Amino acid sequence: MRIGMPHMGNLYIPFKALFQRLNIDFVIPPVNNQRTLSLGVRYSPEGMCIPFKLTLGNLIEAAELGADTLLMPAGSGICRLGYYAKTQEQILHDLGYNAEIVCLGVSQRKLFGLLKMIKHLSNNAPWSKIISAFRFGLAKLNALDRIERAVQKVRPVERVKGTANKLFAKAIEAIDQADDYNTLKRVQIGYIDQLNQVTKDSEAQPLVVGIMGEFYVLLEPFSNLDIEKELGKLGVEVRRTTFISEWTKFSLFLNPLGMNEKDRIHKAALPYLKRDIGGDGWESVGEKVLHAKEYDGLVHLAPFTCMPEIVAQNIMPSTKENIPVLTILCDEQIAKPGMLTRLEAFVDLLEHRRRVKK
Amino acid sequence: MIKVGIPRALLYYQYYPMWKTFFEGLGAEVVVSPPTTQAILSSGSSRVVADTCLPVKVFCGHVLTLVGECDYIFIPAIRSVKSKIYNCSKFLGLPDMTKAVIPESPPILDIDIDINQGKRELYQAIYKLGRRFTWNPFKVRQVGIAAWQAHLKYKQLMSNHGLTPPQAIERISNTTEVEPKTPPGNLTPTQATIAVIGHPYLLYDEHINHRLIHRLEQAHYKVLTPEMLTTEELESAITRLIGGAYWTYEEEVVGAGGHYLESGADGVIGIMAFGCGPDSLMMDIVHRRAARLRTTPFMSLTLEEHTAEAGVVTRLEAFLDMIHRKKRRRTEVCV
Repeated sequence: MRIGMPHMGNLYIPFKALFQRLNIDFVIPPVNNQRTLSLGVRYSPEGMCIPFKLTLGNLIEAAELGADTLLMPAGSGICRLGYYAKTQEQILHDLGYNAEIVCLGVSQRKLFGLLKMIKHLSNNAPWSKIISAFRFGLAKLNALDRIERAVQKVRPVERVKGTANKLFAKAIEAIDQADDYNTLKRVQIGYIDQLNQVTKDSEAQPLVVGIMGEFYVLLEPFSNLDIEKELGKLGVEVRRTTFISEWTKFSLFLNPLGMNEKDRIHKAALPYLKRDIGGDGWESVGEKVLHAKEYDGLVHLAPFTCMPEIVAQNIMPSTKENIPVLTILCDEQIAKPGMLTRLEAFVDLLEHRRRVKK
Repeated sequence: MIKVGIPRALLYYQYYPMWKTFFEGLGAEVVVSPPTTQAILSSGSSRVVADTCLPVKVFCGHVLTLVGECDYIFIPAIRSVKSKIYNCSKFLGLPDMTKAVIPESPPILDIDIDINQGKRELYQAIYKLGRRFTWNPFKVRQVGIAAWQAHLKYKQLMSNHGLTPPQAIERISNTTEVEPKTPPGNLTPTQATIAVIGHPYLLYDEHINHRLIHRLEQAHYKVLTPEMLTTEELESAITRLIGGAYWTYEEEVVGAGGHYLESGADGVIGIMAFGCGPDSLMMDIVHRRAARLRTTPFMSLTLEEHTAEAGVVTRLEAFLDMIHRKKRRRTEVCV
């Protein structure tokens, strides 16, 4: 049994740590690239959203590397995501790969289901080993997100553009290499220190732009054409509420205890959208309402044909809380120059607004 | 008398007799918007963002025609009508979305239907809706039961007599007997049957599908639709194709498609709207099944507001020619 799974940002690093510790045979497909996208687009139904196409490309590439058990998130009551695995399995079979898709039921199985599935994959390893490997994976995930948060702060104000990105790439590499808690801690502290010491423009008052929208396109830089880095280059500080570590913390550990990080967001959305509509639609409306006062502008990312985000996009202009929102729809047709032009125009608009306010 | 407006779009085709019985039982007058026209479609699509799907644009157009014609508009948020099976986000967000894009609309009567919350929640939602018209909870209960009976009768009428929803609605509202359709026995041996699958709001809205069913009937084909199958037939087809349903209205596409591909039809036409989330996956499942079986020809037509009539007609003619030739070859061999 060889395991493969699709990419989403740096999620492969914690999973790699987990599988290595449990001696599970696994492959990591190449990070998202043009070939992944082309493969996905070629074999997907035409009206599908970009997360489906990219994950299908990943699964095909994993199957090419000999993976026969593929992990895919699934569940019910979300959006099309719950149906991905069924269709992708048929597509893979039609292409002649004899791979089985194992559904990661994130929405209903929660922590215990996940651990049980890992136990099954690891050929019944003892629970103690599974839990320790799982904890180590989580530690890596948290370290990655802590460093990313620091990078987001440094990007817009650094003197030499690109320093933070270079450090971030090195940090990812180092976290991937770390194989015990001590090294991991050292790496994390070391890189956050280095980021703090980067020479900064002390007078700069960067515009603050929140990015929100659909989970996958927010977290997978290939699908949003590195929008965070591009905004950083334009001297904009990016704030993002969605981090995988946050999501894991709440959906695996705190939600069963009745704590929900999104309650605040949902409450803000209530006057305009009364119910959960699946996906991240409710959160998108809520974040707009919530951040209208705090931020200078918002970038709303959504895959083309995403159902919940279309509803959110229709509702957002009617809110009383006013803030400029730039909606960018991501699909295989999106081109970088087009997106950059729109971002530049948006940033100009925000600067103008700030000047007028003063 | 309070007037309740019901847009002739989306779930109208599934539930109209039930809603009508409910509101009329509570003493309200039911106003239905007129059949879709180009003006309705254009006015609807001018309100929403461009990538909203065609049926929702049509829906907004219908709501706009009801502005000023009624005191309330009934737009339910149907989340789930079967355990663990959920609906598309657009149905869930429909009341809030309509309020956002059509601020001048009359107050919206919304009701949350979610079977997974349990019966108690469902009954409470119905009472809450009914209490706007009467103080008497027993009356709401009585009317609710009558509405449910009307719905069952409507469904039975369609599956027993092979009627399409508009025909069944007409028969229910007219007390005079509409002349029955030609029984299947009168068919000439070469006459082919074509199954048309898809959601009712696409199949029976003659404006957006360019009178597809009418055209098929004119050309003397017998037309089969998802409503003519029983629930058991639909569910067993879904189980064969993908194991279990995921979407609320999956039987109209995967169930009916799977059933007709295996038996009963000479050709299957799948109709979907551009940008429809659930259909993009469900139609693909049917498509793959057709490719694997290689017995029944399958064509999928994607509708959007720019769909030209000539394009639809050309594809339809080519498809029918193919079926005709296939059928003729088969009869010649038999002779």
